[in-house]
Formats: sequence, structure tokens, C-alpha cells
Amino acid sequence: MVFRKEQIIVNFITSLILVVRNFFLLIFYPYKTMRKISLEKDHWQILIIFLLVFFYFKLSYFLKDNPYPASFTFFAFLINFFLTAGFFYFLSKLIKKNDNSASFKSLFFSLSYSLFPTLIWFESVSLLYLILPPPRTTSILGVSFSIFFIAYSLSLLLWKLILVFLAIRFSLRLSFYQILYLWFLYLIWFIPYSILLYQVKLFRVPFI
Amino acid sequence: MKTANFYLKKKMKEVFIVEPNDLNIDFLTNFYKKATSYLKTTPFIIIIPFSFLAGLFIYLIFGYLIVRLTTLLQYGF
Repeated sequence: MVFRKEQIIVNFITSLILVVRNFFLLIFYPYKTMRKISLEKDHWQILIIFLLVFFYFKLSYFLKDNPYPASFTFFAFLINFFLTAGFFYFLSKLIKKNDNSASFKSLFFSLSYSLFPTLIWFESVSLLYLILPPPRTTSILGVSFSIFFIAYSLSLLLWKLILVFLAIRFSLRLSFYQILYLWFLYLIWFIPYSILLYQVKLFRVPFI
Repeated sequence: MKTANFYLKKKMKEVFIVEPNDLNIDFLTNFYKKATSYLKTTPFIIIIPFSFLAGLFIYLIFGYLIVRLTTLLQYGF
């Protein structure tokens, strides 16, 4: 029993080190790293990433007047995540009917890692909410900060798009046009869905 | 030697996990290959200057709307 407990701790720490290593590698070598991640089999890594997401929801619950508890928001995030992964997987199956190279597990791993830019953005915006609470003004400092903030958000969004593109490319083995087509179809339902989540005050900016 | 062969095979399998992208038009395929080569390693060297230029461009086009957008996003977490 003691051995199993120790084994779990060792597995967890090893996976944590791998998650941190992959996180830095995704900044410098997104292509190679995402290719490796798509072949990953260590489930602890997904657990660690999802734990980080849960901690973020806990933090945001204390920071803002959120009517929903963190566990409920996390549950909504899980639904979003599974809907997204499922949508891409099943459509890729429709596109490549006779090809069994697409793997849901691989997609799940790589999409989990593509949550890093999202996590960084949400965590940093939460911290900025404490340090420089909105609203911004039209003074020189306000405008300068706004330009900086938009540039910061845009760079994370572009990084996110690159990671999601690579995740789909390596996991589902689709071509450039097929991925663009899937993204277009995804936005058709995801934009109204995000508006719905905004209306019910669950997510102001979709966490995906 | 056997171990080296095994790692080489493993690496080759990993590298050729997907077919190279073909955009059907030579010019587009070449452009895609050139553009993605910059994004495959250290993409932030391209992304950060591009984002700052885009931020500045948004300010020049939309003016103070950028301040409202920032305020909206700051409430968005």
C-alpha cells in the first residue's frame, strides 16, 4: 500500500516536470513539441493541466462577484472542452472515412496542452484586475496601456491558434484546407454558444 | 548499433507523422512553407512585433475604442 502511494507521488512529480518542460518547449519549439505531445500516453499530465484550470476558476471565484461556484464553472469548461474535441474528432472522421489514423486520445492530449495560452491570459488578466482595476481612461497612460494590453492579448491569441492548428494537424492528420474548413464550421456554432454563455454570465470571454 | 537504429526509426516515424501540406497552387505552397518555417521555432520573434503593430494600427483606425475594448476584456476573466 505504501509502495502504491509512493508510486503515485513519483508519477505525479515526474509528470509535473514533463508538463513544465513541455510548457517552455511550446514557447520555443511549438512544432516539434506538439508533435511529441500528440504521441504522449501519460495521463497524469492531463490531470495536472486540468488541476491548473480548476485552481484558476477557484481564484477567479474569489476575485469577482461570480454567481457560480468554481466547481460549476469548471464543469461548464469540461463540457466546452469535450464538445470542442468531439466536434473536431467526429468531423475529421467524416472527412477521412477510410483512414483510421485520427486518434481522440492524441487530440485530447494536444488540445489540453493548447490550453496554456488561455490559462496565461486569464491568470494575468485576473492579476491585472487587482493591480490596475478597470475601467481604463483616455489619458496617455490609459491609451498606452490599452495598446500594450491588446498587443499582449493578440500575441497570446496567435500562439493559441498556432497550438490548436498543430494539435489538430498532428492528432487528426488533416491538411491545411481541411483544418481551416473545420475551424469555420466550429465558429458557426461556437460564436452563438459563447454569446449564450455570456448571457447566463458563465464566461464573459470563452475559456477554451 | 541496434539501439541507434531503434531511435532513428522512432524519430523517422515521429517526423513523418503527417504528410507535407500541399495547397494545390505552387505559389501558395511555397508561401505557406516559408511562413510556417518562421513559426515552427520561436514564433514570438514574429508574433510580438506583429501584435504591437496591430495594436497601434487598431488605435490609429478606431481611436479611443481601443480603451473600451481593453476595459471590456479586463472584465472578461
